[in-house]
Amino acid sequence: MNTAEALVDFVRIWFMIGGVVAAFFLVIGIDRIDEDARGAYVFRPLIVPGILLIWPLVLWRWWVLETGRDNPDARFHPVRSAHGVAAFSMAIIITVTVIIGLSNRQEWPADFEPVRLSAPEGTSQ
Amino acid sequence: MKKDTTPFFVGYLKPAKKLRSFLLAVGVGLALLLTTFGIVIGGTQDDPGYGSFRFDYGPQTVSGVVEMLPYPILHVTDGNERVPAGETLMLTAGGKTGVAQRAARFDGKKVKATGVVLERGALNMLQLRGGKRGLDAIDGEEATAPTPEPLGKWKLAGEICDGKCLAGAMRPGRGLAHKACAALCLIGDIPAVFVSTKPVEGADFLMVLGKDGEALPKAAYDYIAQYISVEGDITRHGNLLVFTIDPGTIEVLE
Repeated sequence: MNTAEALVDFVRIWFMIGGVVAAFFLVIGIDRIDEDARGAYVFRPLIVPGILLIWPLVLWRWWVLETGRDNPDARFHPVRSAHGVAAFSMAIIITVTVIIGLSNRQEWPADFEPVRLSAPEGTSQ
Repeated sequence: MKKDTTPFFVGYLKPAKKLRSFLLAVGVGLALLLTTFGIVIGGTQDDPGYGSFRFDYGPQTVSGVVEMLPYPILHVTDGNERVPAGETLMLTAGGKTGVAQRAARFDGKKVKATGVVLERGALNMLQLRGGKRGLDAIDGEEATAPTPEPLGKWKLAGEICDGKCLAGAMRPGRGLAHKACAALCLIGDIPAVFVSTKPVEGADFLMVLGKDGEALPKAAYDYIAQYISVEGDITRHGNLLVFTIDPGTIEVLE
């Protein structure tokens, strides 16, 4: 299997698992962890695409809320100082990646002349 | 208690005097930076070429003989002003799918084909309409595909692309920026095309097949969109050159 096919298969499997998670979460899970969602159904298909993408996060949050490990105050904590470092690092990494990518590009071999290695069978070159 | 006079930015209020010069500098600096970045990145990109979907022609209907290579091609026998008789068209469906399965049962038969033309110089492709409206047999009429003409064994340099994007479905339809798209198109059975650095027997673009005449070998997939040299036999089918490559001879160029 080549890299391109492996990537396509990975995405396909990821979405298939996401589909199963979406089915269980929207039928069973959401009613158990979000009282505001009980009795509301029309919006549920709208969040299927999101679940397909981030199903591990959905499972993790479902588990955290289901087991009572959630700290509801955490969402109001101020942004951690590490975020600044992360944002700065990301800006540097993106810039360096672009520079390395551009400087390492292949040059179109414009001067390469096609070479006839042999004439077709039954003819002389 | 000492009054805190640190200026504070509120988006919907007039900015504090102390902040005005800073905000102006940041705003102008950011605009200049992004403009420069855009010009520099844009300036390093290759010309995407002149290929395009010819929706302006409207749907074109032509008749011809289907040849399975195994990518299907159509040798036009009854053409029109836009697609004259004698043209050889690669065939594709909408999106990232080929028409190998649909066309296989018409191999060697005369058909009527309707679709939108993609043109890039001598590289022509027809994106067929769905079902029988796109491709259907013409009963009672006989026609034969041109006899293939072997042109010998060659070593070429260039790039493997998918024929649809290269012909004009995407801009750019080649190069590293297009690698993932090309791989998906080729996995979807859209004909593979080799872009040669210099014309070979008058053609810059050649359909690529495997050594034994199969669709693009899996071993070649990782070299899509890279500049490579490769050896193989070239055969003329109508006015389309077909390059049957030996993936073992692929070399990535500097």
